[in-house]
Amino acid sequence: MSEEKDKAIYSADHCLSCTSCMSSCPVMEATQEYRGPKLVGPAHSRMHFSQEDYEDSLDFCSNCKSCDRACPSGVAVSTLNMLQRGEYYRTHPHKQRDQMLAHGEDMGKLVRSLPFGAACANLGMKIGKSLGVFGMLGIAGKRDMPSYASQSFYSWFKGYKQQPSDKKVVFFPGCFINDNEPQVGIAFVKVMQKNGYEVLVDQKFNCCGSPMVVTGYLDEAKEHAHNNVARILEWKAKGIPVIACCTSCSLMLKEEYGELFGEDEMHEAGANVYDAFEYLAIMEEKGELNTSFKEVKESLMYHVPCHLKSQGFGTPAKDILEEVPGVSVELADAGCCGISGNFGFKDDKYEISMKVGAKLFERINISQADEVICDCGTCRMQINHGTQVKPCHPIEILAKAYGE
Amino acid sequence: MKHTDVIVIGSGLAGLTAALASARQGKSVTLLSYGSSSLSLNSGLIDFLGYDDSHKAVKSPREGIMGLPETHPYSKIGMEEIAEAVDFFRDFAKEYHMPYHGSLDKQILVPTAVGTLKPTCLAPHSLAGSESLEGKKKIVVAGIRGLKDFYADIMVENLKKSLGDDLAYETIEIETPLTGGRDITTLDVARWLDTPEGVDSFSKQLLAYKGKKDTAVIVPQVLGTKGHACYLTVSSRIETDIVETTGLPPSTNGLRLNAMFRQALRDNNVEIVENTKVIGSKCEGKACKCVIAEAGVREKTYTADKYILATGGFYSGGITMRSFDQPEEPIFHLPVYSVKGEENWSNEQLFSDKPQGYAKTGIMTDETLRPVDEQGQHVLENVFVVGRDLGGYDLCFEHSGNGVALASGYKAAKM
Ligand SMILES: Cc1cc2nc3c(=O)[nH]c(=O)nc-3n(C[C@H](O)[C@H](O)[C@H](O)COP(=O)(O)OP(=O)(O)OC[C@H]3O[C@@H](n4cnc5c(N)ncnc54)[C@H](O)[C@@H]3O)c2cc1C
Ligand code: SF4
Ligand code: SF4
Repeated sequence: MSEEKDKAIYSADHCLSCTSCMSSCPVMEATQEYRGPKLVGPAHSRMHFSQEDYEDSLDFCSNCKSCDRACPSGVAVSTLNMLQRGEYYRTHPHKQRDQMLAHGEDMGKLVRSLPFGAACANLGMKIGKSLGVFGMLGIAGKRDMPSYASQSFYSWFKGYKQQPSDKKVVFFPGCFINDNEPQVGIAFVKVMQKNGYEVLVDQKFNCCGSPMVVTGYLDEAKEHAHNNVARILEWKAKGIPVIACCTSCSLMLKEEYGELFGEDEMHEAGANVYDAFEYLAIMEEKGELNTSFKEVKESLMYHVPCHLKSQGFGTPAKDILEEVPGVSVELADAGCCGISGNFGFKDDKYEISMKVGAKLFERINISQADEVICDCGTCRMQINHGTQVKPCHPIEILAKAYGE
Repeated sequence: MKHTDVIVIGSGLAGLTAALASARQGKSVTLLSYGSSSLSLNSGLIDFLGYDDSHKAVKSPREGIMGLPETHPYSKIGMEEIAEAVDFFRDFAKEYHMPYHGSLDKQILVPTAVGTLKPTCLAPHSLAGSESLEGKKKIVVAGIRGLKDFYADIMVENLKKSLGDDLAYETIEIETPLTGGRDITTLDVARWLDTPEGVDSFSKQLLAYKGKKDTAVIVPQVLGTKGHACYLTVSSRIETDIVETTGLPPSTNGLRLNAMFRQALRDNNVEIVENTKVIGSKCEGKACKCVIAEAGVREKTYTADKYILATGGFYSGGITMRSFDQPEEPIFHLPVYSVKGEENWSNEQLFSDKPQGYAKTGIMTDETLRPVDEQGQHVLENVFVVGRDLGGYDLCFEHSGNGVALASGYKAAKM
């Protein structure tokens, strides 16, 4: 692993001012108000970490990481932005909405602790939306908040009987799959069972911290990192890998902790974390993937999330699903969807978020594909909001191919 | 382990060409890329040979190339393949909606942002400077309000020297809705011109010159990001020749070309793996068995029958140097040629008509573009080297960068 990747702040000096990151930044494309990754990231952070100085337009960065991927010199541009944002909020008050947007996990827990909590919360959000409460809070009024599933993933998991096995993996559902789209986690468990694996869960895991990092709650995110890293290392000691289906969770657990906070254990733990399809592809390389697929007659359009692209292992979901008889996969290749976690939920960023997503929406709207697939939960919400199409996670198609 | 017929490492012009040409021959191709393609920095003009070794302007690149020493990459590639590569590129560019003009037999002179003229061989319509400027009596230089790095007045001063005092010159400034925020770039203006409102407003502001056959309008590289669509619309509305200049990065035309390549690669089922830096290889005897690439926190192995190295030499990390006089190629550890002796390494005058010794640093190959050692023996049989990784030429001095990238990328695919 190259040195400069290990901690973001050391990477600023690798910047050659080449402008590659600027050409790739979707937010710069959508608004003239953002000064862009080169100036706000490496150039400004060099001064900022030693001076009381803040670049106002930093607020526009969505942490989509397109800039990092564009940079030929290994500068961790987006992480420099997030570190500066965190630094700012150490001494400045947060906006009212930030609390809610950064703490979906707490909301989820609260909802689950109440009788009929999910139904009430969904209703509450509908009412809240129609009364304009979200707008008052600074949350984009045009958007639906993610609705809560009647049963969380963890609660489903407790009642599900698995075939025991010596081959085990720990599943990290993340807040969104646990509370809002448990069907993704369920599909994952079934897929692993079909491959002779037993899936474990660990409820001592916290939210990965991604929503906190982007909202500037850096210290809190670091506490989550410490807890999660300790958990991952404990599983590592037992030889059991941790797997996530949400690409923002896996990126945070694998790489961003290390980049943001630079502690050795974070890198060590990161190496024990896998994205679901990354893991399935490794199994396939070893000849261990169950490939007795049933026919699934579906043409799929695949939006590859930014945070998956950043992980640098290509698109194994495409490769594996194309082996299923009847399935064809076409890459949307239309850039960032624009939502970037909670970015698109902020009322003042809503327009930008929709402008960024426009290319993808258009591509999906004119596509003849039967279904849209995407590994990231918030991307799926954005696609649904921008096109009315309801996408699913690629693991759900794979579960279908196993007859589940 | 994923296996394809061909693996291309690096997605600059050399790698993109090698990947596309390989795929068009029916090969399965994986393109391993790190960083966005460097085409976002360069103009996307294909220079073949602008200057000879005494820095005299070359009139016919074809003839100039014939006179090059046998150590030069062009001599290895051979004229026949160079000409085929030109045809291949022109066909591709036409198919993807930005036809390129020009040939190996003469230079096109393209105005730069400061008004000098730069020789190139292949250029899209909008950048085909001298072809559009010929015979004009009046030159209008249109700057954009708020756009830095484009100074119409300096440009006119220099154009007078290169095109002649006897022409009439005029400068104007185009208004856009982009001011008031950050400093604007040519790319911002080009994206505005991708929209119908942008094209309308821009064309309207040039209506004073409508239908004036003896006039040409020179603008920075702002005519849209999508092929030559915007160029066609604007020229048909104002019925006057309109000419773009080269400029500082980001380069709109390089981005247009990059987008076209990506679309073509997708159409030809090339698998592009992003954000993965190749860090090593495993070789047995004279055969490379696999390459190893960073995939975030872990490594991933890729295998192929054939490997094309297009990592951009010194400028892009394809060749590194930790200690003086010992350049290294980090993936296959190929022998790297460089001039011997510190005193020959550089020429004190950065901007002079003498080449820089270090600039010729690179990997030497035989006619098949396989790497060779000092005795001229193959080091590896299934590895091919292209673009700026090649040794024996000074692309800045002779203006041959994209020409070598294109011709070598094409030839390596054929081998
Ligand atoms: C500002 C500028 C303007 C120019 N203008 C012109 C012009 O007008 N006309 C012209 O003909 N030429 C021009 N050139 C020269 C021309 O750009 C180059 O000579 C040519 O494009 C080189 O192409 P390449 O593909 O060999 O290398 P590059 O374009 O450098 O591409 C190499 C790629 O490989 C990647 N890479 C490196 N190491 C690894 C690794 N280990 N794993 C994976 N990927 C890796 C790099 O990130 C890079 O994207 C210009 C150059 C610059 C810098
Ligand atoms: S993370 Fe995304 S929005 Fe932020 S600077 Fe980078 S490319 Fe732009
Ligand atoms: S791409 Fe990297 S090197 Fe280039 S300007 Fe951006 S941060 Fe700097």
